[in-house]
Amino acid sequence: MRALVTGANGFLGRCVVSALLARGYTVRALIRPATSVEQIGWPDCVEIVRADLRSARELAPAFDDVDVLVHLAAAVTGGEDAMFASTVSGTERLLTAMVGAACRRIVLASSFAVYDWSAIRGTLDESSPIETGADLYRRDGYTIAKSWQERITRRFTAEHGWDLTVLRPGFIWGRDHGYLAACGQRFGRLHVVIGPFTHLPLTHVDNCADLFARAATDPRAAGQTLNVVDGPGEHIWSYLGNHLKRSGEGGLRVPFPYMVAFAIVRLAFATVFKRNEKLPHVLVPCRFESRLKPLRYTNRRAEELLGWRPPFDYEECLRRTYDPGATA
Amino acid sequence: MRTSELRVALIGAGQIARQHLSCLKTLPAVQIAGVCDLSPAVAESIAERYGVPAWFTDHVAMLRDVKPDVVHITTPPTSHFRLAMDALQARAHVLVEKPATATLAELEQLVRYARERQLVLTEDYNYVFNHATREIVRWVETGVLGSVVHVEVMMSLNLFGPGGFADPNARHPALTLAGGALADFLPHLASLAHCFTGAHRRAHAIWTKRRPSILPYDELHAVVEGVHGTATLGFSSTAQPDAFWLRVFGERGQASTNLFETRLTLERLRDGPKPLQPLLNGLEEARAVRRAAIGTLMRKFKPGPGTYDGMWYLIAGTYAALARATPLPVPVEHVLAVNRMVEALKPVEAAS
Repeated sequence: MRALVTGANGFLGRCVVSALLARGYTVRALIRPATSVEQIGWPDCVEIVRADLRSARELAPAFDDVDVLVHLAAAVTGGEDAMFASTVSGTERLLTAMVGAACRRIVLASSFAVYDWSAIRGTLDESSPIETGADLYRRDGYTIAKSWQERITRRFTAEHGWDLTVLRPGFIWGRDHGYLAACGQRFGRLHVVIGPFTHLPLTHVDNCADLFARAATDPRAAGQTLNVVDGPGEHIWSYLGNHLKRSGEGGLRVPFPYMVAFAIVRLAFATVFKRNEKLPHVLVPCRFESRLKPLRYTNRRAEELLGWRPPFDYEECLRRTYDPGATA
Repeated sequence: MRTSELRVALIGAGQIARQHLSCLKTLPAVQIAGVCDLSPAVAESIAERYGVPAWFTDHVAMLRDVKPDVVHITTPPTSHFRLAMDALQARAHVLVEKPATATLAELEQLVRYARERQLVLTEDYNYVFNHATREIVRWVETGVLGSVVHVEVMMSLNLFGPGGFADPNARHPALTLAGGALADFLPHLASLAHCFTGAHRRAHAIWTKRRPSILPYDELHAVVEGVHGTATLGFSSTAQPDAFWLRVFGERGQASTNLFETRLTLERLRDGPKPLQPLLNGLEEARAVRRAAIGTLMRKFKPGPGTYDGMWYLIAGTYAALARATPLPVPVEHVLAVNRMVEALKPVEAAS
């Protein structure tokens, strides 16, 4: 079995390649032309295909003898339009090339960002509403791009009769990726923790990659949408404390109640800022909620459907993330 | 016009297109009738976002189905000529993003065609219409600065960031222009020089490269002799921080603005004891800089065009002129004069 992995050189992609190799897959990694792969340390059996989804014209050969596409490529930085062009137009190019190939199976990396956080109460799960219509464009560029990426992938899938699994990870953390946007606002060594007892929808990159590999290999995943979290999630306060201590960064945490912060943001948005959506994310209520709203999370569906449980518990994930020389 | 409401179509739905659409949504008697992009998702999403009733991936189909009165062209520059010609052939006025065309010959062909059909062809010189530039123009017109002697136009902009012009993974379309990425900015420099010194008589440019990258050049420095004065134009990819300085030297004063911010200062001849002039000018400049520091920050927190205020002013002025049949903010003669200056500044080996 051969998997074509886009975004293979990324934070999640490297771990997904390893997880697929461990399951006996032949991996073909799609890598940007000017990216160096020597330092990654992949075995020689990993096939490298050089292409940039933003501009590549001839992607069809990348699908030769491929059984499953694991599509992880997405822009996480840059302006809104650059993210859209990279993530969405890149996906259009990729899937257009797949139309003529024998490959019928896709595993897509979507995101928790696509949910309508303002509408959700209690537990966020796969049945929760996603952001649509005009409200989508009040969110940040990453959310707009990931929502459209999922939308067009579903359209291609429906049109061509493919099998699609959409995986929506929460916050993916791991080595060199311990500090998360949900940790609050950083002012030098001071960390204002908004809603210190809010649970974080965490998935360690090794656990997340394991579910991607599982979804690629297990036919029961076809046609399914699954959230990817390791469990109910740590409190922001304790997670940030662990990060500051074990990374050696240090710093002082200052708790701030979520409801008070949200009330201030809403009031300022409606009055002082006159509903200006060009504001920094934390000052726009819907974006504030998508990062910080206190909800509950579960991986029950992945467990029920695939029997999946995260292979590594939180303590082991901390060790992998912060201990020198630990397996990453 | 076919109706009292102008029907507008836009080709190329990237970042700058959203500025055009945001502005058009605020204008009276303007209906955005269609948008077009090669990417279906880009076209559909921009239509959904701005409430545009029709989206297309084929501009010919859009021109045929929508029958626009005005077409905005916001695609990469090498596609402008063909798209503008198709729009003119569909009897639509054309507002094209800078650079209007890849070559002067293409522009002259478009201008001839537009004139034959009595259609408008105009180019977006947004920095000419920024608040600060308009204020300096007013100072010139009211005699505060006196006659213009010289203009300095200098843009510092880091082109080496990820996903930018120097990204080796995906070649930016502007790199096909003579001069590469810098040619994309040359109309900004030339249009400001033209605004204060008029059409050029002579021009000399030095194109150089300081850093290894896929850019053919990353520095440009030029001297221009215009009808009303001289100008020096510059673009630096390496000088930091990012800034866009316009300095106008008149016989009675000097004005200076950073067009990326709201900073605008004025030094002038004053009545009274000469030794006090530096003090009074310094105090006035300090007040202006303090005001600008706060104003630039506050602009980010306000709805509206932000740094694109010149573009919004230009587009609004263009539609007002179309509706009243009055002179355009950027008449086609100015478009030709600016592009002749641009042509004269292009690197010799690429232009020959």
